[in-house]
Amino acid sequence: MSNNTSAQKKTRRSFLDFLLGASSVAWLASVLYPVIRYLKPLPRAGAVGPTRLTREELAKLEKDHFVIVPVSGKRVLVLRNAAQEVLAVDAKCTHEGCTVQYLAAESAIWCACHNARFDLDGRVLSGPPPRPLPKYAAERQEDGGILIVAERRQNE
Amino acid sequence: MSDPGGGRSLRGWLDSRYQITPLIEFLRHKEVPKGQHSMVWYYLGGTTMFFFMVQVVTGVLLLMCYQPGEATAYESIRYLTTKVPFGWLMRSIHCWSAHLMIISLVAHMFSTMMLKAYRPPRELTWVTGYILFALTLGFGFSGYLLPWNKLAFFATSVGTDLVKSVPVVGNWLLQVLRGGPDVTANTLYRFFALHVVILPLAFMALIGIHLLFVQRQGMAPPLGAKTAPRGMKFFPSFALRDVLLWLFCFMVLLVLAVFLPYGPGIPGMDWELGQKADALAPAFPGIKPEWYFLWEYQLLKEFPPHLFGLEGPQLCLLVVTLLLAIWAVIPWLDRQAQRDEPSPGFSDFGWGAILFLTFLTLKAWDIGATENVASAASIKIISRTCAWWTLGAGAAIIGVRVLIHGHRWFFLTGAALLHVALHGLFGLSYLAAGAIAAILAGACVTANLLRNDGIKANAGGAR
Repeated sequence: MSNNTSAQKKTRRSFLDFLLGASSVAWLASVLYPVIRYLKPLPRAGAVGPTRLTREELAKLEKDHFVIVPVSGKRVLVLRNAAQEVLAVDAKCTHEGCTVQYLAAESAIWCACHNARFDLDGRVLSGPPPRPLPKYAAERQEDGGILIVAERRQNE
Repeated sequence: MSDPGGGRSLRGWLDSRYQITPLIEFLRHKEVPKGQHSMVWYYLGGTTMFFFMVQVVTGVLLLMCYQPGEATAYESIRYLTTKVPFGWLMRSIHCWSAHLMIISLVAHMFSTMMLKAYRPPRELTWVTGYILFALTLGFGFSGYLLPWNKLAFFATSVGTDLVKSVPVVGNWLLQVLRGGPDVTANTLYRFFALHVVILPLAFMALIGIHLLFVQRQGMAPPLGAKTAPRGMKFFPSFALRDVLLWLFCFMVLLVLAVFLPYGPGIPGMDWELGQKADALAPAFPGIKPEWYFLWEYQLLKEFPPHLFGLEGPQLCLLVVTLLLAIWAVIPWLDRQAQRDEPSPGFSDFGWGAILFLTFLTLKAWDIGATENVASAASIKIISRTCAWWTLGAGAAIIGVRVLIHGHRWFFLTGAALLHVALHGLFGLSYLAAGAIAAILAGACVTANLLRNDGIKANAGGAR
């Protein structure tokens, strides 16, 4: 009889313990969720779609052989190679996210941070980057302007 | 007349209310052990705290001028250093003190390591110190971004980008840290909050715990001291020496801050404001992080794009995390020190770690570089030059340990030197050389352990 009561007590106690634990976890979650949600940034609003180079950017491209422009919230390296073709690749190095540059003399794309080299299609030539730079489509227009198409093509 | 306030003196007044006599008695009897080893190591925690206090004072002063924001951060620092009376000095002291604090902290940590002061009952003092060290690096890293110049921008881009290699939550963590997919003004706001509120609060709480532990247990006596060592009175003898040393540190700090307001000009110790951050400018040649992150910077360069099915940076993060995790739990690994016996293996581990970091740091500094620093030929020469310097340092360390301390345990420093020699002198890749050295060291340490166990078993049998 007394055994029975203590067993009953035990199950009642463990049930209450469970209830207390579960409600503590639920309480904690309901406090933490807004904080976590607050810290996670909103997706960036901004123009998406094809981007036309501005007059200043075109001038910079003429002068330096390359320019870095914002396209749909990304940094894109637009360069003019030796054959005067315009090419565009993502400017964010796939290694640790530095901004790459075009070395006209070596006809290569170079990241100064950890000495990585890419060819003009974004393929890794040397250094630590694990992936090629994504390519963008660059179109020369009839009026001499340059249009960068935001949809990037996956490299082969 | 009965006075509930007790005695007439202030002390009596306080004592009757807050019972301060036991506290005063405790401080009066507090002693610092005088050991066989030099007492200089007991002062390094104090100097670290001194530099931290300088950081708090100058930090608050800088805060009165600094305005975080895309259009104001850089401008306010420029105004501070060029227009505000002694603004340049406050910034210079803040920067110098940060570097000196880290130097002092690294020396404090390694001396604790070498003297095995982490052994029971002081394991948690080591762990709190370890967290304080991590927080200090966090201070350095977050403070670096605040001037919002080009160097800060890329240093933060690279430093935070490594977070994406964390499994599962990496991308989420990166977004939370940066306040978006890239480093923007949002990152600046977050780092500002981190640098001036979150880290200082955490740091002060932990330093309180760390000091409480030290006060409760006293400073660690020398290893293997059979009898209670003779002590030096904390008040006034040790405390006055502390103050004297802090005064000396302050003078050194002021001289450096006045005569070299933008740092000594070596890469990683240079805080010239330079140009404003520009997200659309490429990273400039020769860009490097602060000197205490150079080893990590160089390690990132040494990892190939892919290895064992992981990306280079992921594997690099894994290796670094593993090494840092071992460092955190040393008090539980070092069984000999737990028994109050010398543990030469762990001294050797400490020295091996120093040599490992030395080589990477020297290499990141491009010691011995030819004109075209980034060329393959130049990198080879840099590796060779740095290998010779590290081997020289290693030989000196081993010499001192053999001749002065009579140490006979060199597997890990040996492995670190073999690693450097294979890589720098014989042209093996950094990782291949490291793997060979690590396997050899592992084999030697295991053989040594088995042999020791054999000797112990034999001794037990003979008895």
